[in-house]
Amino acid sequence: MIGKIVQTIGPWGPVLFGIGFLAPLIAQSMEAMEIAAPFGLSFVQTGLLIGTGLGLAAKFRGRWI
Amino acid sequence: MNVAVTEPVAAAPVAERNDRELAREELTIARKYIGPFPIVMAAWGLGNLVCWLALWPLVMTGTLSLWIAFPLATLNVALCYLPSHEAQHSNYAKSGEPLRWLNELIGYVSTIPLVLPFKTARITHMDHHTYTNDPERDPDYGVKAANAWQAILTGIRRRQPGQPNAYGKLLREKAEAGDETAKRAMMEGLAQTLSFWAILTALAWSGYAIEAALLWWLPRHIGMSYISLFLSWFPHHPMNEQGRYRNTRHFHYWFGNIVSFGMEHHIIHHLHPGIPLNRNAAAYRELRPILKKRGCRLDGV
Repeated sequence: MIGKIVQTIGPWGPVLFGIGFLAPLIAQSMEAMEIAAPFGLSFVQTGLLIGTGLGLAAKFRGRWI
Repeated sequence: MNVAVTEPVAAAPVAERNDRELAREELTIARKYIGPFPIVMAAWGLGNLVCWLALWPLVMTGTLSLWIAFPLATLNVALCYLPSHEAQHSNYAKSGEPLRWLNELIGYVSTIPLVLPFKTARITHMDHHTYTNDPERDPDYGVKAANAWQAILTGIRRRQPGQPNAYGKLLREKAEAGDETAKRAMMEGLAQTLSFWAILTALAWSGYAIEAALLWWLPRHIGMSYISLFLSWFPHHPMNEQGRYRNTRHFHYWFGNIVSFGMEHHIIHHLHPGIPLNRNAAAYRELRPILKKRGCRLDGV
């Protein structure tokens, strides 16, 4: 049971990481460095956009860097 | 380690002694360093954890700058493995001894900053000792690389999504063969890993993303690279020989034994895992003539 859950969620780990950690990290970093968010977006929206994008890219490329 | 020494040590020069005499003398010397409780390692393990934990309130209350805390946290993460390593070998207390609880406590808590589950570490490390440098069975064989920089890059590549996890593979094989300890190790490992990601996420969405990144997430990655380089790559490079006296080497690191976390004498650990890290250098100095006679790799780097 637990193994199946891990096997299902595991491949989506990079996306979850992008949303769960990278998104707020990007948002708070932009705020700390006083970088304006583009297109009238908020810091959190920008973070979610970039974090999710990076997570999806990592998932499909199989690597972060 | 359980062989009783009943005869006096031979007085002949090392070069003239036979295999049995060398083995007996090696064991006699090793036993001198195995005995007392390794209080240095215990204090290191618990003290290092307290230091790392203290960084969080100090940073969050603005008492300590994050830019000072970041290198300290990185040092804490890098330092946290070795006290647990002693616990993996039951060097604080064997099973059934009064201080066994302390052995297991240090094993479990000291590697919290590294997010390395104790049972996983113990099981895989025992296989590393049994099958050192065996491409198929040594779970640390993946660090093999031509040079130190390649070893760091290899380590980063191994941590990318979807890459095979040697520790996970070994635990699965053991669990499928009915090993209850391996099954439990998998459960504990899963719980610890999920807890780590849950805490990071909770911190990040509570407004502490930068603190979480610089006190835990990034230090952990740097620490893993450092530990992998100095505890796995340097002592076993080039990883093409097996056998008790050839699978690990003594080496000289440019910046000294402390910077390499005492790993210059890692050969002593592989020969006599019961000798705590802080006594390896002294044991090495005394055992060196025997190691030379045994044809050990006593290299410079």
